[in-house]
Amino acid sequence: MIKQISSSILRIEEITEKVFKLTLSSSFIAKNGKPGNFIHIKVSETTTPLLRRAFSLHKTNPRKGEIEILFKVVGLGTRILSEKRKGEVLDLIGPLGNSFSPPSRNQKVMMVAGGMGLAPLRFLLNEFLKNKNPKKDNITFLQGAKNRNEILYSKELSSLGIKHLISTEDGSLGYKGMVTDLLVKEVRIKDKVKIYACGPEGMMAFLSRISRKANLDCEVSLETHMPCGVGACAGCVVKTENNKIVEYKKICSDGPIFDAKEVYLDES
Amino acid sequence: MKVDLSVSIGEINFKNPVLVASGTFGYGEEYSKLINLNRLGGIVTKSITLKPKKGHPPARTCETPAGMLNCIGLENVGVDRFIREKLPFLKKFKTKIIINVAGSTVEEYVEVVEKLNESQGIDMLEINISCPNVKEGGMIFGCDTKLAYDCVKKVKEKSKFPIMVKLSPNVRDITEIASAVQEAGADAISLINTLVGMAIDLEKRKPILSNVTGGLSGPAIKPVALAMVYKVAQKVKIPIIGIGGILDYKDALEFILAGASLIQIGTANFVDPQSSIKIIEGMEKYCQENNISSSKSLVGKLDTSKKE
Repeated sequence: MIKQISSSILRIEEITEKVFKLTLSSSFIAKNGKPGNFIHIKVSETTTPLLRRAFSLHKTNPRKGEIEILFKVVGLGTRILSEKRKGEVLDLIGPLGNSFSPPSRNQKVMMVAGGMGLAPLRFLLNEFLKNKNPKKDNITFLQGAKNRNEILYSKELSSLGIKHLISTEDGSLGYKGMVTDLLVKEVRIKDKVKIYACGPEGMMAFLSRISRKANLDCEVSLETHMPCGVGACAGCVVKTENNKIVEYKKICSDGPIFDAKEVYLDES
Repeated sequence: MKVDLSVSIGEINFKNPVLVASGTFGYGEEYSKLINLNRLGGIVTKSITLKPKKGHPPARTCETPAGMLNCIGLENVGVDRFIREKLPFLKKFKTKIIINVAGSTVEEYVEVVEKLNESQGIDMLEINISCPNVKEGGMIFGCDTKLAYDCVKKVKEKSKFPIMVKLSPNVRDITEIASAVQEAGADAISLINTLVGMAIDLEKRKPILSNVTGGLSGPAIKPVALAMVYKVAQKVKIPIIGIGGILDYKDALEFILAGASLIQIGTANFVDPQSSIKIIEGMEKYCQENNISSSKSLVGKLDTSKKE
């Protein structure tokens, strides 16, 4: 079930430079949204920017009828959204797309968040903790960003009783390097582990490549421009290969969550 | 006052003049959860080709000022799977079903049409001789008067359904093509398809779209589309379906004044899936407020008398 909804802005706050947390009212999406799903927001009443913007759900509160997204100001659409105020009404469609699949019984879980890729993974982590499945000591959360200012919610993540490791490209916090380096260090091929990852395209491309090479069980959440968001325009595709069949799948409606082994991303 | 929004092309009676445009509405199912398809005048499907088409690699779309570029590359399931898997869903709705047909040779168009001839639940065909993104998209037919004539004539001979022919704006004189298509027997003309456009990533010094160029749509092209509809309306007698950047009922009525009997909503579906319904309601309200009992009475009623 998806719906087009008029939703009030309950809170909007800048949690670090250019990164905003937006809380919206929608009991329907709060009730039906799953980790990995996204919403499609009309950010402007004018013709530029024209198209909706897609954001992964970062949190839902079904009891209060609230949903949350995290976004970074990267262009005109997100800038306009960041200038919205409490009480304004947004036109949004959701929940859209597929969701992460649970780990199998004896699988450990490793979550890999690059920058804003934290958004859907924090939602997934909260579901794991809420359901007590998998158990806390079977969860590792790897979080990477350019520098310490972009490491969000690190205090909270460190206090949950899960293994939480941080990397920064400039070394200002945690391991110096990429979060994928941390993954390579941490993951034991012989362990039964399921990886969940979200981050920039280069990181997703790397993960899909190593997942094929080492036959990892890894789900990635992909992001791109989506004109329609519902699978009608075929504008947001990714190249995939399954059983030797090469096809373009729609990120909005076949995804945004894909088996890392099946997607072929541009690594440039 | 009850307003009559209905309009006919030959024997096909549309309950209102608002259709959703090919390529922006999938096979209908994609938007069925968000809007009541029974309200629409008609649905034009994605282009259907003889064989399935994978389409172009990403990136296939790019937003531009007041518009967007696309180079989808006619991705579709092919006519056989379309008939088997997609058409049964569309048949269920009380709206006119128009199948958009594309091909790389006249024979291909004809073969698709012959397969569709055997299906129930189709009201009309839209012959796409104007896709700017693939050579199989038929633009070669849409850019040459004689080729356009030959293609439409052969298709018309074989089709058991009435046909509208979708024209490209990327031509020297669209009215010449329109005249040729009319002469070849088209029942209606739809225009415009997208304008060829391009976007560049300055940082990478690369084209943004995988196919380098793409088709521009959205409000940015509305003035161009309006002028072309107006010019074609002066030249041909068959009904015109106006397309190009229509966002609201005012845009729709402008096309109707310029000479369009019906209109198609494309990119606006992405902006707001309710656009087509809002346009139908807006037209109805406009007619009520202006004491117009039938919206078809507005077709081509542009006042072009010179100011003193």
